[in-house]
Amino acid sequence: MTTLSAIELGRPAVRRQSLWRYWRGGLRGSEFTWALAFLVPYIGVFLAFVVYPVCYGLWMGSEPKLYTDVFSDPIYQQTVVNTLVFVAFGVNLKLFLALMLSGFFMRPGWWTKGLLLLFVLPWAVPALPSFISIHWMLNGEWGFLNNALYILFGVEGPSWLNSRWLALGSAVYSHVWKWLPFWTVILLAGRMSIPQDIYDAAKVDGATGLRRFAHVTFPLLANLYLVLTLLATIFLLGDFNSVYFVTGGGPANSTHLLATLGVRDAFDLANPRLGVAVVMSALPLLIPLVIILMRRLKQSEVQL
Amino acid sequence: MAIHTRRTVLRRSLGLAAAGALARPHVANAAATTAEVWWTQGFAQEEDVAFKKLVADYEKASGNKIEDSIIPFAPLRQKEVSAITSGVVPDVMEYGDFSFLPLNAWADKLVDVSDIVEPQKSQYIDTALRATHCYNNITKKRDFYAVPMKAAGIPFHIWNSLVEKAGFKVSDIPNTWDAFLDFFMPVQDKLRAQGTRNVYAYGYQLTANGVDPAITFQGFLMAYGGKNLVTPDGKLHTDDPQVKDAAVKAIAKLTTPFKKGYVPPGVVNWNDADDNNAFHAKLIVMDFDGSLSTEVALYKKKEEYNDIVTRGMPLGNDGKEVPSPMPIFGALIPKGAQNVTVAKEFLKYAIEPNVLNEYLKGGLGRWALPLPEVAKNDPFWFKQDPHRTAYSEETLVHPTEPLYEAYNPAMADVSAEHVFSIAMLDVMNNGMTPEQAIDKAFKRAETIFAKYPIQQA
Repeated sequence: MTTLSAIELGRPAVRRQSLWRYWRGGLRGSEFTWALAFLVPYIGVFLAFVVYPVCYGLWMGSEPKLYTDVFSDPIYQQTVVNTLVFVAFGVNLKLFLALMLSGFFMRPGWWTKGLLLLFVLPWAVPALPSFISIHWMLNGEWGFLNNALYILFGVEGPSWLNSRWLALGSAVYSHVWKWLPFWTVILLAGRMSIPQDIYDAAKVDGATGLRRFAHVTFPLLANLYLVLTLLATIFLLGDFNSVYFVTGGGPANSTHLLATLGVRDAFDLANPRLGVAVVMSALPLLIPLVIILMRRLKQSEVQL
Repeated sequence: MAIHTRRTVLRRSLGLAAAGALARPHVANAAATTAEVWWTQGFAQEEDVAFKKLVADYEKASGNKIEDSIIPFAPLRQKEVSAITSGVVPDVMEYGDFSFLPLNAWADKLVDVSDIVEPQKSQYIDTALRATHCYNNITKKRDFYAVPMKAAGIPFHIWNSLVEKAGFKVSDIPNTWDAFLDFFMPVQDKLRAQGTRNVYAYGYQLTANGVDPAITFQGFLMAYGGKNLVTPDGKLHTDDPQVKDAAVKAIAKLTTPFKKGYVPPGVVNWNDADDNNAFHAKLIVMDFDGSLSTEVALYKKKEEYNDIVTRGMPLGNDGKEVPSPMPIFGALIPKGAQNVTVAKEFLKYAIEPNVLNEYLKGGLGRWALPLPEVAKNDPFWFKQDPHRTAYSEETLVHPTEPLYEAYNPAMADVSAEHVFSIAMLDVMNNGMTPEQAIDKAFKRAETIFAKYPIQQA
């Protein structure tokens, strides 16, 4: 037996030991047992409250006939259009305004900070009372808005919640009102993280005002803006409160989103499987968005 | 400070597990005399207090324990649907809407409670029995799947002060259907002429939300002779010309005032409580809404309480009595309940005539007592309060009909989809004629009914 072959013989033992140590995360003896003891409850909670509900939902919505029922429902077809309109306007309006407002809140001065404090209030207050209040404010006959219009200008306002597009518009408005502060603060943080040196260099090159925004701020915020757009789209696809409490899905079921229609099918029609199927039908849109989001999150370099 | 070593932690954990295992039989024994009950929260606090008293009295009388949860109507419905779907159910549920019982009886998800209802059958109003005698699609027969406890007639609620302000008297209101309803349009005109902005004649629920619109439509349908849209054998009669004529007239009578501005435009998106709110704010002169909840909510504001006039159904245009649709609420035992014995004992106790009477009286009489002879012998129902008198007469003396859902659960789907509300909205918003809207609604109803074939009446 040569020396070389002895080394070769010893190799598998070394490999086994390394693999075992790798699985134990480099922990030895009782450390590994304690680590397991601390990990098990978390895994239990994760299985019980994440894995199980998701699998249960997938199982509930797994029957193909459910989708035949869902797709043949005329309310569903209208709901898909509503959801796309809601996402398109809700996300873009909200993020564009947030981008602009974050620039405004970058201005120095105590009053800007005071205004920012007031501005974040809608986000800080609980969603449900806010949306229920908006529902009442928009009541055509005795709501605050139309009464204010009548008292101030002698004008009878429209019945905001009586037509599909006005009602859906009201829901978009409510959503933007509620969530605009949140996204503004995130973009404000994004703007604040841009080093002043870059702005100074741009100033030396003659870039001020809009050119500074176009050539410095926006390129540096673009990745963040895109990630926020994807995140906001994912959040909004699951939004329930803005429509459920402002329009109730009405008039005549014409302003439902997938989330509210799912709840309506699950509980009003007492058919939870159908409700799950409605919500599941958003997955073909949702999964690619999540994949794109994950990929974008890996990118960190920006070319100015 | 105690030092916890790995061994002590493991030993103590094992000790706790062993103690738990040894204690299980005692826990199981306690469970054998305990029932979990889910109940609907009342509109007035007195209703919840009355239920708590019922539970306490039962516990005292039986030695059993009731773990009760009082939950608002909408969350309770969601909780009940979830419980039935997951199979993790309480022992007793009160059902707060009229779809839950027929749909789950059809799907064989409920325990047959005929042994509780049968002994007391002779005392019940017939409508209460028909409303809870539901079809099971597995056994292919009807049985009692709920214990009837509360009857809810659909009275008209009228503000006397608004009628008088307009220069009329409540005693002037005619007692035939069309004339009765038409009375309120000039009331609105006069009030508007006096400068009252945003007051409307009617608070009809012409919306596709909640349960009220379906009851409203059934009330109007029966007033025009369309009672047989669904017959007790569960059959749909959309091909009956009399039914179709009545349905068209009902839709026209409900939507024409809307188009003329006698109903708040916002009704198309109201929920169940909005007509009550509008009525309490004196923004509508008359409302057609189930139970005495409208009056009971103002029970402590005596001036307003006494200003409301409660009226039962007027006569039909032909001078004959018009039946009132009458939802019946009660309690049921879901299959999978852990303690059916105690659940049945509790329900048997709850519907003892004196017990049920005291319970509903404690709730200010919002729900009528479905035991007519007991009610007639108690001045509370027919003599002490004008609202209760009118309500008791409507529910217990004059003709009533259960909601169609009791005859065929397909109607539960029709109501949940708001098929007839959509018909009204088609007329009000989409320019359809009542005939076109009813043709469309009937077609949809036929499709839904085809999914629920009842093989044996």
